[in-house]
Amino acid sequence: MVDKGDDPPKEEDVAEELADAREARSESRIEFYGGPAASAIPIALFIAWAIFQTGLLRISDTTGLVAGMLVSLIVGMFFAKGDWATYANTIFEGMTQRVAATAIVAWLWAGMFAQTIQDGQFVGGLVWAADALSVGPTLFPAVTFILAALLATGIGTGYGTTIAFSGLFFPAGVLVGANPVLLFGAILSGAVFGDNLAPVSDTTIVSAVTQDSDIGGVVASRFKYAIVAAVLAFVSYLVAGSVMPTVDVAGAANVLGEQAEPLGLVHLVSIGVVIFTAVRGRHIVEAISWGIVVAAVANVAFGLASVSKMLVFRAPENVAAAESLSWLPFLTTVPAGSDQVGVGGSLYAGAAGFFPLIVLTLLIVAGARIMIRGGGFEAIQNFLLERVATNVRRAETTMVLGTASVNAMITINTAAEIAIAPYVARIGERFNVNGYRRANILDANTSALGYIFPWAGGVLVGYVQIQSLVGSENFQWFTREFVVNPAEVWPFVFHGWFLFGVFVVSALTGFGLEYTTDRESEEVARV
Amino acid sequence: MSLRKKYFAGLGFRTNKPEFEPGEEISAFVTGHDGDAPVARIGDTILRVEGAPGNALDTRIRLRVEEFDDNDHRGTATYLETVGQSSF
Repeated sequence: MVDKGDDPPKEEDVAEELADAREARSESRIEFYGGPAASAIPIALFIAWAIFQTGLLRISDTTGLVAGMLVSLIVGMFFAKGDWATYANTIFEGMTQRVAATAIVAWLWAGMFAQTIQDGQFVGGLVWAADALSVGPTLFPAVTFILAALLATGIGTGYGTTIAFSGLFFPAGVLVGANPVLLFGAILSGAVFGDNLAPVSDTTIVSAVTQDSDIGGVVASRFKYAIVAAVLAFVSYLVAGSVMPTVDVAGAANVLGEQAEPLGLVHLVSIGVVIFTAVRGRHIVEAISWGIVVAAVANVAFGLASVSKMLVFRAPENVAAAESLSWLPFLTTVPAGSDQVGVGGSLYAGAAGFFPLIVLTLLIVAGARIMIRGGGFEAIQNFLLERVATNVRRAETTMVLGTASVNAMITINTAAEIAIAPYVARIGERFNVNGYRRANILDANTSALGYIFPWAGGVLVGYVQIQSLVGSENFQWFTREFVVNPAEVWPFVFHGWFLFGVFVVSALTGFGLEYTTDRESEEVARV
Repeated sequence: MSLRKKYFAGLGFRTNKPEFEPGEEISAFVTGHDGDAPVARIGDTILRVEGAPGNALDTRIRLRVEEFDDNDHRGTATYLETVGQSSF
């Protein structure tokens, strides 16, 4: 870790914390019935729960995983020898790790920004662009990929992009005549692109902070891989669009035109501000704050979203202060006792959307801490370093395939990424692989695999959205025959496959490889 | 580092055995031990570090390369200072 911040006490705090982690790794302070391997019970049980819930039952519920991690921590305690207070205290130790806190702060900011530009009709701007291009059925999937990638890069959430595009671009594309399977694949590919590249993406943030690299530098360094895969994917959608069968829908209506809002494209500036300031090396909190300010001003100035759409206090009407201050643009009164009483708006909703993931992250890091203190982490790490990752090419291949495998099993990609991140860090450091490179390997495979397999969370959210179109009021022509089964789409998530392929080739050939001796990360976005 | 360099750094194929010049000062993680002496493994190149503290493993140090053999990609270096720690 190289923290070149100019605040010495902060750096000392981080150094002290890392020294504690090192001490915890070298000394098995918690003894388990069954030896060090039993310290992996909380994490192993959680992985089994996650596979059962998301992979087998196809329930994409992050709070469900929170319950899984809580139960796993309780079960693990029964295998700990001696005083359980040590086990319990280790949970607290884990939850106060800076690596979790840093990601959490960045997520809260990213959530506010993403929701603000979504409420500012950015999707409407993309719809207008698609409508203005008047593309036919063969080109529609390729154009959908580019626009979905643009939205995902702006809002940093592949799931959000998949939901927005499955509910609007998908039926529009089907009406135009585009192949539904290819169309769904293009939407998922766009989600992969943004999840991988966006500075406000949850996976980007995790990949950077766990590998001690600044977020802006990580985004810049992964551009070369992302663009290679994106060009190949775009060409593939053009080719597949011209050879795969198209569909014919009677009674086509102008679905896109009704949703178009050209001014929504102004948020390309908001996104540009975040990317530019982050890549220039400013703290991610500062970079996103600037993005929020620009987006909020643009929303009001261009009439895209009112102040109350971004922040609103809904006070009971029988409160005197609320009555007298009701002229404020962010204050409104509602009937006393109504369930409308509360705070709302994009700033509120954007941050709140991350709450389940934040709790899950804290608990997973606590589970990892127990594994470190019990000796399980070191045992797996030593096995990998001594038997599998015995030279730098094999080490990188292990990182690529290890990340891909965990993501194939745990289909909520951020949770999977947090679970595998310590191994990527340690294996990479043992060969002095640069933090940027480690972060890129970690995030590319996390982003790609999270949107390919039929049980992946990203695929399922889109599938649910597409299913809901059947018989809906706005799309009465949309029948069950247009619903794409998750088992059909996996070969057509071209950007995901190419991104994975780029990194397999990179690991085997040394393409893009940088060592810690080549360059140092800029100031890490620590809180 | 300029914006252009940030985007294009690392573009190309990197050897698995990087080479260093005597007198070159670099920053690297201490990755293991060769007998009693700590070593910094950079890719598949190994530098034996002299003068490093006993608990240097997994810390990031600045070191000065003293000798380097281009044929077997091994060398010796002198410990200068500790500049960072492992991520985990």
